[in-house]
Amino acid sequence: MADGATVGVPIELRKVTKAFPGGGEPAVRELDLHIPAGEIVVLLGPSGCGKTTTMRMINRLIEPTSGDILIGGRSSRDIDPDRLRRHIGYVIQQAGLFPHMTVAANIAQVPRMLGWPRKRIAERVDELLTLVGLEPETYRSSYPRRLSGGQQQRVGVARALAADPPVLLMDEPFGALDPISRERIQDELLRLQEELAKTIVFVTHDVDEALKIGDHIAIMQRPGHVVQYARPAEILTNPAGDYVEQFLGGGSSMRLLRLTQVGDIELDRIPYASEDMDARDLLREVELDGRGHALILDGMRRPLRWIAQAELEGVHGPVGDAGEPVTVSIGHRMTLQDALETLLNADTDVLPVLGRRRAYAGALSLGTVQNAIQSIKARERERRLRRGEAP
Amino acid sequence: MNLWEYVEDRWDLILFETVQHASMVAQCVLVAAVLGVLVGVATYRRPRPAAVATSIAGVLFTIPSLAMLGLLIPPLGLGVAPSVTAIVLYALLPIIRNTVVGLRGVDATLVDAARGIGMSRRGSLARVELPLAWPVILTGIRVATQLAMGIGAVAAYVSGPGLGEQIFSGLARLGGANAVNSALTGTIGVAILALLFDGCFVLLGRLTTPGLRHG
Amino acid sequence: MTVESAAAKEETTPEPRIGRSWHVILPPLCYLAVAAAMVGYTQAVPLDGIEHGSLNLTFLRRRTWEHVELVFFSTVLVLVVALPLGVLLTRRALRRATPVVLALVNLGQATPAVGLVVLLAVLFTIGFWTAVVALFAYSLLPTLRNTMVGIEQVDPRLVDAGRGIGMSAAGVLFKVELPMAVPVILSGVRTTLVLNVGTAGIAAFIGSGGLGDLITTGVSTQRNLVLITGCVLIAVLALIIDWLGGLAQRYLSPKGLT
Repeated sequence: MADGATVGVPIELRKVTKAFPGGGEPAVRELDLHIPAGEIVVLLGPSGCGKTTTMRMINRLIEPTSGDILIGGRSSRDIDPDRLRRHIGYVIQQAGLFPHMTVAANIAQVPRMLGWPRKRIAERVDELLTLVGLEPETYRSSYPRRLSGGQQQRVGVARALAADPPVLLMDEPFGALDPISRERIQDELLRLQEELAKTIVFVTHDVDEALKIGDHIAIMQRPGHVVQYARPAEILTNPAGDYVEQFLGGGSSMRLLRLTQVGDIELDRIPYASEDMDARDLLREVELDGRGHALILDGMRRPLRWIAQAELEGVHGPVGDAGEPVTVSIGHRMTLQDALETLLNADTDVLPVLGRRRAYAGALSLGTVQNAIQSIKARERERRLRRGEAP
Repeated sequence: MNLWEYVEDRWDLILFETVQHASMVAQCVLVAAVLGVLVGVATYRRPRPAAVATSIAGVLFTIPSLAMLGLLIPPLGLGVAPSVTAIVLYALLPIIRNTVVGLRGVDATLVDAARGIGMSRRGSLARVELPLAWPVILTGIRVATQLAMGIGAVAAYVSGPGLGEQIFSGLARLGGANAVNSALTGTIGVAILALLFDGCFVLLGRLTTPGLRHG
Repeated sequence: MTVESAAAKEETTPEPRIGRSWHVILPPLCYLAVAAAMVGYTQAVPLDGIEHGSLNLTFLRRRTWEHVELVFFSTVLVLVVALPLGVLLTRRALRRATPVVLALVNLGQATPAVGLVVLLAVLFTIGFWTAVVALFAYSLLPTLRNTMVGIEQVDPRLVDAGRGIGMSAAGVLFKVELPMAVPVILSGVRTTLVLNVGTAGIAAFIGSGGLGDLITTGVSTQRNLVLITGCVLIAVLALIIDWLGGLAQRYLSPKGLT
C-alpha cells in the first residue's frame, strides 16, 4: 500500500472570503491558513462558525467570493471543479454512501470516472476494503444500508481513498456514531494516516475528537475567522482568550493527560538488576534511592520481579529468584490518562514502563505524572516567551 | 353566444346543479368518512384484517369509475342510487388507508404514556391516538373529496345529479350552438367546486390540528 | 407534512412482503378467470341481434385492442413529456418554477376527466387521437408530480457526496438522483396507467372506440349483458395493468433501498 502511494501536499488559503448572496455578514472572512503536507488539520468550532464552508471551498463545492486556495502550489481556480474533486477524497457524516449501489460500486465510482481498467478497479476495491478492516469477500457485494454505522463510515473512507488522492476532506465524518465505534474508527484513522501520510482537513465540533485526531487545530469563531491555530498541547496550555477557553470548557489538564503518551514524558528511574547481579551491589543502590524497591530484569531486559530492600539485606552472591513477580506494568504507547488509571488500581506506588519489545524503559508514579504535566506547561510557556508573546 | 352570456342565461339551472353536485359530494364523503374511520379503527391493530380491508378497497379503487357505475345499473337502475353508491365506494379507500396509516404512525411511546397515566384503551384511542392521527386521516378525506368530485361528473351519464349534466349535454349537442359553452361550464364548475372544497379542508386542517403543525 | 410528500410516502410503501410466488401470480389469474368466464357466458347464451353485434369475439378483440392502444399511446406520450419536464423542473435554474407547476398540477387534478374528454371533442374533433390527447392531458399529472417529488426527496447529502467525489451535474443526475427516484417515479407511472385505462373507457363517448363502447351501447340499447361485459372487461384490464405496474415497481427499483 505504502509503496507508490501519493503522500499529502500542502494547502494554502490566502485571504479567502465567502459571502452568500443576501446573507449579511460573510460566512468566512479573509481567512489565511497554511495546512502542512501530510498533517491532519482540524477545523473546530460551534455550528455556524464557517468551518464547513471553509472546507467545502477547498474542493470548490462552494466557490470563494475572493481570495485564493493553493493545493500543492496550484491555484484551485485553474482546475476544472469536477476533475479537482476526483483528486480530493471526500467523507461526510453517515458516509454519504449511495444506497442503491453495492459497497464495491460505491468505492469504484471515482476510479471509474478516471477511466481505470476494470481489473485494476476490482483489485483496488479489495485492497481498500482490506485496508479499512473489512473482509472483501463478505462486504464487496452487500448494500450500504445492511452495514452498521461504523462499517458504513469505513466504506466511506475507502471510497475517499479510492483514487489515492493526496488530500482528504472529512466533514464531521464520525458525528453520527456511538462513542465506542467512534473511538475505534478514530484510532483506525490515525493508524491509517501513519501509513498513508495524506493531508487531511477534518471538520468537527467535538473538542475531544479534535484534540485526539489533530496535528494542528484551527479554532474558528463566527463569522468565519480563526481565533487560534496551534498544536493541541498549546491550545490546552495556552488558550487564546476567553472564547477558546469557554469553547474548550475546562478540564485542560485532564485533556493533556489524554493527549500525552507515556513514552513522551521524562520517566522516573528505579534501581534494577539482572538475576546474576550481586545482591550487595543492588542493596547499595536501593539504599541510595531510598524508596526500598528494585526491579529484576531478564536477559532481554524484561521486568520479572519486584524485590524489597528487606529481602536483599544479608544476602550474599547473585540476587537469584527472590521477590514478587511483576503483575502490572504500563506500555509506552499508553496515554497518561490510561497510565494514571492503571497506577491508581495497582497495589504499588510505582509501576515499570515497558518500551519496545516489552523491555524496561523507566518507571511511573503519581509524582512522575504531575511533574510531566508541569513541565509540558512550562515548556509551552517558554516557547511563547521565545516568540515574544505575553505569557 | 359567449360563455358569460350562456351562464347568465341559465344561471338558475347552473346554480341548482352546482348545489346538487356539492351536496351529493359532501353527503357521500361524510358517509364514507364515518364508515372508513370505523373500518380503520377496527382493523389497524390487527395486521390481517387491515390488509384484507385495504386490499379489497384497493381492488375497488383500481376498477375505473365508469365500469363501476355501469355494473351498478342492473341492480340499482339509473339516477341517484348508483351514483351515490359508487362515490361512497371510491371515497372509502383513501380514508381507510390513511386511518390505518395514521393510527399506526402514532408514536408507540405516547400510547404507552397514555396507558401509563391510567387511560383505558378506548380513552387512549379517543384522546391520544385519533387526535394525533387526525392530520393524516383528514388528508385521506381530502383526497376522497377530490375523487368524489370527478366521479360525480361521470355519474351524470347514469342520470345522476349535478354539474355532469352540463358536460353531457355539451356532448349531446356536439357541433351545435352551445356545445362548447355547456361543456366548459360543467368542467370549470366542477373544478371550481373542487378547489373550494380543497380550500375548506386546508382551513379545517388549520382549525382542528392545534400544536401539531410545524413550519 | 405536505400532500405531495404524503403521497410520495404512501405510494412508496412496499406492499406487504409475501414470500411465495403464487401469491404474486394468483390475483391476475383470478382476474383473467373472471374475464374468461364473462366472455364464455356471452358466447354460451342465446343473443339477439344487437347483443350479437357487440359481443361476437372479433368485435370484442378489436375493442380490447383499441383500449390497449389508447392506454399505450397516451402513456408513452406522458413518459416522453413528464420525465424530462420533471427533471428540468428540479434543476436549480428552474427550481423557482416548481411551486407554480405543482399548483397548476393540482389545479389540473381538480378538472374532471370526463369534462376534459368532452371539451376536447367539442373544441376539436372526435376520434382516437383526440382521446389520446385527452388521456395524456389528464394522466400527465401523477407521473410529472412523482418525478419531481422523487428527485426532490433524494437526500441532499447524497447529491453533495456525488458532487464531492467529482461527479458532473449530469453524472449525479443519472447515477444518483434518477436511480434513487425510480420507486416514486414508477408508482406515478402506475397511477398514470390505471387512470388511462379508466379514462379510455370514458373516451368511448367521443367515438374513439375501446371497451367503453360496450358500455355506451349497453346503456343506449338497454342491453344489460353488453353493459356488464364492457364493465367487467375494463375492470379486469385495469386490475391487470395495475398488477403489471406493481411487478415493474418491484423488479425495476434499484436494490439496496430497503
